Amino acid sequence: MVKVPSTPLEQTARMLDLVPFLLTHQGIALNDLADHFKVDTEIMLDDLNTLWMCGLPGYTPLELIDLNFDSGFVSIRNAAPLAYIRTMSSSEIVALVLGLDLLLDDSVQISPENRKRIEVLSKKLRREIGTNVEISLSSPAPFRSVIESAIASRKSVEMTYFSPTSDQSTERIVSPYHFFQEGEYEYFEAFCDTSHGMRTFRVDRIVSAAICDLVKSVSDAGHTEGASIRIQARIQSPDRHTAETFGLSYSSLEDGQSIEISAFSQEWLSRAIIAGGGTVSAQSPLDIREKIRLTAEDALALYE
Amino acid sequence: MHVAAAPQKVLTVSRKSERLVNLTIALLATKRYLTKSEIFRTVEGYEGSAESMERMFERDKDDLRGLGIVIELGTFDPLFEDEAGYRITPASYQLAIGELDGTDIALLSIAATSWSGAALERESTSALVKLESMGIESNSEALSLLAPRVSTRDENFVLITDAIVRRATIAFEYVSSDLSLQQRTIYPFSLRGQSGIWYLRGLDSEKNSLRTFRLDRISSAVKVSKKSGAFEIPNNFPENSENVPDSARVALIRVRKNRGRALRSIGRPVVVGEEWDELEIPILNTSWLLGTVLWHRNDVVVLEPSDFRSLVIESLREVVELHG
Repeated sequence: MVKVPSTPLEQTARMLDLVPFLLTHQGIALNDLADHFKVDTEIMLDDLNTLWMCGLPGYTPLELIDLNFDSGFVSIRNAAPLAYIRTMSSSEIVALVLGLDLLLDDSVQISPENRKRIEVLSKKLRREIGTNVEISLSSPAPFRSVIESAIASRKSVEMTYFSPTSDQSTERIVSPYHFFQEGEYEYFEAFCDTSHGMRTFRVDRIVSAAICDLVKSVSDAGHTEGASIRIQARIQSPDRHTAETFGLSYSSLEDGQSIEISAFSQEWLSRAIIAGGGTVSAQSPLDIREKIRLTAEDALALYE
Repeated sequence: MHVAAAPQKVLTVSRKSERLVNLTIALLATKRYLTKSEIFRTVEGYEGSAESMERMFERDKDDLRGLGIVIELGTFDPLFEDEAGYRITPASYQLAIGELDGTDIALLSIAATSWSGAALERESTSALVKLESMGIESNSEALSLLAPRVSTRDENFVLITDAIVRRATIAFEYVSSDLSLQQRTIYPFSLRGQSGIWYLRGLDSEKNSLRTFRLDRISSAVKVSKKSGAFEIPNNFPENSENVPDSARVALIRVRKNRGRALRSIGRPVVVGEEWDELEIPILNTSWLLGTVLWHRNDVVVLEPSDFRSLVIESLREVVELHG
């Protein structure tokens, strides 16, 4: 719900859109009306009070818009000049077109007939914002809907999952629990049959997935999440890539600065530091520092 | 002003929005052009001196145009030297989206809900209100679709889409790879979302070259020029000019069996061996390829070209030294 007071222009836009909406929703409850416009009831009341004083020049009761809303239900009469539904703004069209793009994704289970409809609608809307405008969205996670329906139906999923940390794809049977978002990525938590524990997976790293019919009980699995590890590290030369890899803010990075890095996997951490090629160094704990050196020496040996 | 029983508590009556709505009604309802003096005389809310009404009206026209309302200027009879007047034609004001049925409405509604909590939530809400105003029963039961969600909250998103549609120049501050902040002035051409990241492509007007920017690396609010139609978006624009100089180079890289998926997906195998395969990989972005090679540790060896091979060796030595 929007709490911030709206600008006169926003209010104008809402009032113009209120009239045609009310004409097809006579007697709607004030609360529902506010919900549809995603504003507070107070703001909606203010809109209605203002609109009620608008009308054709003359502004006698004959020319004014006739609104009735004292009962908590809203109805409208005498609003002919504003009965038209306003044309959409380009941003509104962009919002719809990008939303339609998402529905066209392979992961969405949709009939060929509706797919066709979406393409037609999308073309029609795109024409409104002009030719050559390319604003598009491809779904980040083609197998999201499989996980989603597995959660809804409490079924298990047979999936191939790629882990860049181990640089391997593995086949697993998992029973997904819930989605969560962290930073730019979406994850889900699941009981993993293969490793007998709760695991976290990144949705966009699923290589293939299909529902399998075994229903797993996950109630007694308990959490065996991989212990999060923390290390002290030093920024050797600050760059954008380092900031993005370790989730640090761009502006906070300085030469020689000490930072704490936490990660789920020591292997990921070691690879990320080596991939930095000397932009970051691990300081402590010493065994991790040592391991990184040995791994780098190992790789270097291939060049000798 | 009419006097009627008003049981509702009037919170704040916005004179400005009231005047704008009254002006819209008057200009929509009129069959002929309304002259300025007619507007000032009859439309509620125009008060004060001639100049102040004049200024008010100019601002109001701009504001209504900002809402996408087209105000026509014309004269009733061109043969007489009438004073020019204004009107809004229903044809330009009205949503013309053609015939839609309940299933179309349902699909568009689902599309709109994908912005819930994200950057275009306000726009998708008002778009949905307009669709619902058509009074077509949404056939949503027939479509039990779960809408995928957009998670972008970036405030710049709305500004950039608006700039693309209006063909307006934008300026912003961008975090470069060495973390310095660059001032960029761009003709924005396209915006594409992929794997949770939005990519803006456009022409750098100073350097006259096509560039790609990640929205999350823009470190300031995007400034959008008021002037629309500042450029044309070309029919087909080529790949980034910044990638061209390196594109002819190819690295020869040895990758351990069943390893290096990230490299295999962009490379072409030239030798398939027992323990190792050799791949040819185009060097499009040296620092990305260096990072990716290093990430794979002792599962990858760079054979050629020698300058890239040296770069890998140097980086590994650096890591060893820093951890010694």
